[in-house]
Amino acid sequence: MGAPAGRKFLIELAGQSRFNGLIPMPARKFAADKLLWETLGRWKRSSPELNRIQFLKTVPFFNQLSNRQLKRVSDIMFERTYEADELIFEEGQPGAALFLILDGEIAIEIYRETSTTRLAVLERGAFFGEMALLDETPRSATARALERTRTLALYRNDLNGLVYRHATTACQIYRSLAGMIGDRLRLTNELVQMKPPVETAGLG
Amino acid sequence: MSNSQDFEEKERERKVRRKVFYLTFATLALIFGGFLLWKLSSLILPIIVGCLLALAFRPVKDRFRIRWLPHEIQVLCSFAAIGVVLFFAFNTLRQHIPDEKQKLEFKVRLKYKLNEKYRQLVAKSSEGKSNPVAALIEKELGPLMDKINQALKLNPEERDLFLKYAGGYNGKPPIQNKFVDYFRANENTTQYVIPEKTLAGTVSPTVPAAAASTQSPPAEEGTTLENKLSAWMLAPLIFVFLGFDNGQIRRFFISLVPNRYFELSLTVLDRLDDAIGRYLRGTLMECFLVGLTLTLGLILLGIPMGIAVAIGVISGLLNAIPFLGTVIALVIGVGYALIAENITPLIPGLNPSNLALYVLILVIIVHVLEDVVFQPFVIGGAVNVHPLVVVIAVIGGSLIMGLWGMLFAIPTVVVVKTAVETFFKELKDYRII
Repeated sequence: MGAPAGRKFLIELAGQSRFNGLIPMPARKFAADKLLWETLGRWKRSSPELNRIQFLKTVPFFNQLSNRQLKRVSDIMFERTYEADELIFEEGQPGAALFLILDGEIAIEIYRETSTTRLAVLERGAFFGEMALLDETPRSATARALERTRTLALYRNDLNGLVYRHATTACQIYRSLAGMIGDRLRLTNELVQMKPPVETAGLG
Repeated sequence: MSNSQDFEEKERERKVRRKVFYLTFATLALIFGGFLLWKLSSLILPIIVGCLLALAFRPVKDRFRIRWLPHEIQVLCSFAAIGVVLFFAFNTLRQHIPDEKQKLEFKVRLKYKLNEKYRQLVAKSSEGKSNPVAALIEKELGPLMDKINQALKLNPEERDLFLKYAGGYNGKPPIQNKFVDYFRANENTTQYVIPEKTLAGTVSPTVPAAAASTQSPPAEEGTTLENKLSAWMLAPLIFVFLGFDNGQIRRFFISLVPNRYFELSLTVLDRLDDAIGRYLRGTLMECFLVGLTLTLGLILLGIPMGIAVAIGVISGLLNAIPFLGTVIALVIGVGYALIAENITPLIPGLNPSNLALYVLILVIIVHVLEDVVFQPFVIGGAVNVHPLVVVIAVIGGSLIMGLWGMLFAIPTVVVVKTAVETFFKELKDYRII
């Protein structure tokens, strides 16, 4: 009973465009259905899970994954919220997870007895602690939240588990990781190659 | 200035409120949880068994998962499969559960056969009467046999029932003549050690007591069995739902953990899961192998298939109890061998009178196989617990929870040991302690 009445209303609504009267009934019906589906679609899209997938799509680390694959990744991620000044991890701790910033700001710092060196400040969409996805080597720096920050964490062994369940998805992620590490290696090589002239210049 | 001070003051108040709230909530949860635990204690064991089985069988699920089939349908299908298997198992089991008549027959047969064997044993070796071994056996086993005879003695109601069944009663065919003969012979069994030890006065009070004790349990057993069965329905349910859990439960518990311990708890959980899972799978595999070997051996010795399988299954399950498992397998196996009548051995030179010896040898072979081949191969030193700890744990378990306690003693010790080890190691690695 309710559904036909609702549809009638939508048909009227669709007919109230500036082409009112010009649009034949079937087209109006079509427009009404389109409106209905769009509304439903918008309602569905606003769920936190879909928001998360939409967000993951914008992260370069995951940009090769399809929506379905992104959902699988999103399913194994943990959402954590850190207050301002809270530590996400400390230098020297064994690494277990990669962190992705949903919103907020994170500072990557190295504390020494006399000084603190800030290596970087990361914002929404950035990720850090990615080496933890490969092995348990200690964290090389400390990550501290500068303000209230929401992060998504991807745990190493969950990614390992994904290899057995959804091999393609896991492979894509590992490929992204390898690509990123390759880029860094290239950068380091360039820096190393650049270094001798600088030193000789300094010496000379 | 005052604004920020206000803010700080409010924050401090909020912190205090939060602590009070958490404490109150935790206390209430503890009280409520304790109450539930106390009231629903009969559900604990099925839940634990379901959880452990789910943990043990998870790799199987991962291996055989059908990718394109929706998750819910797979849960339903596996549940249906388990249901069908349980239904058939239960049905076949119920068919093999002896009814009143078979119970009486069994009792009569057991008593007759045991007495026959005992007389053979004593008579054979005491031909010259100077044989000290026979005298020793008689002295040691005589009182035991008397006790067994006392326990197996039919009380007046049972005797009447037997006589009724002997002539055909309750729509059942009459009892075979063989059993009637046994029954008559049993009536004439005498006490083996009356003159030396027992005076008439000490025996008579025990008879009514024994009769009463054999009389009353069956009625109660029926109702408790029903209760137990309904509680045990939980185990397969938990098995399926935990087995198909995609980490939601873990996510929930991890979400409760403070940020500081987030990575730590993930690592600890994972290590625990891995170690305990490997231990459980190893133990299950070992039990299965022991049960299978024993069943095959018994079939080879000519013991009927159904009974061989039953003894194999029971011994396999009890094999999870160190030391005692083998002893119980031995007692059941030899006990059956002593009363066996119609066997069709595949090994030449076997007859009902020396079957018990062969069963003894078989159990020893299986035990050696278990120690030398199965255990190193299957468990492979996944978790090593000191033998002394094993003994203490088994005895302690039996004191606390009886048979179930013994069965779960070693898994509990393994879980606690692994948990403590992993937890402290990780706490140190994360520089928390």
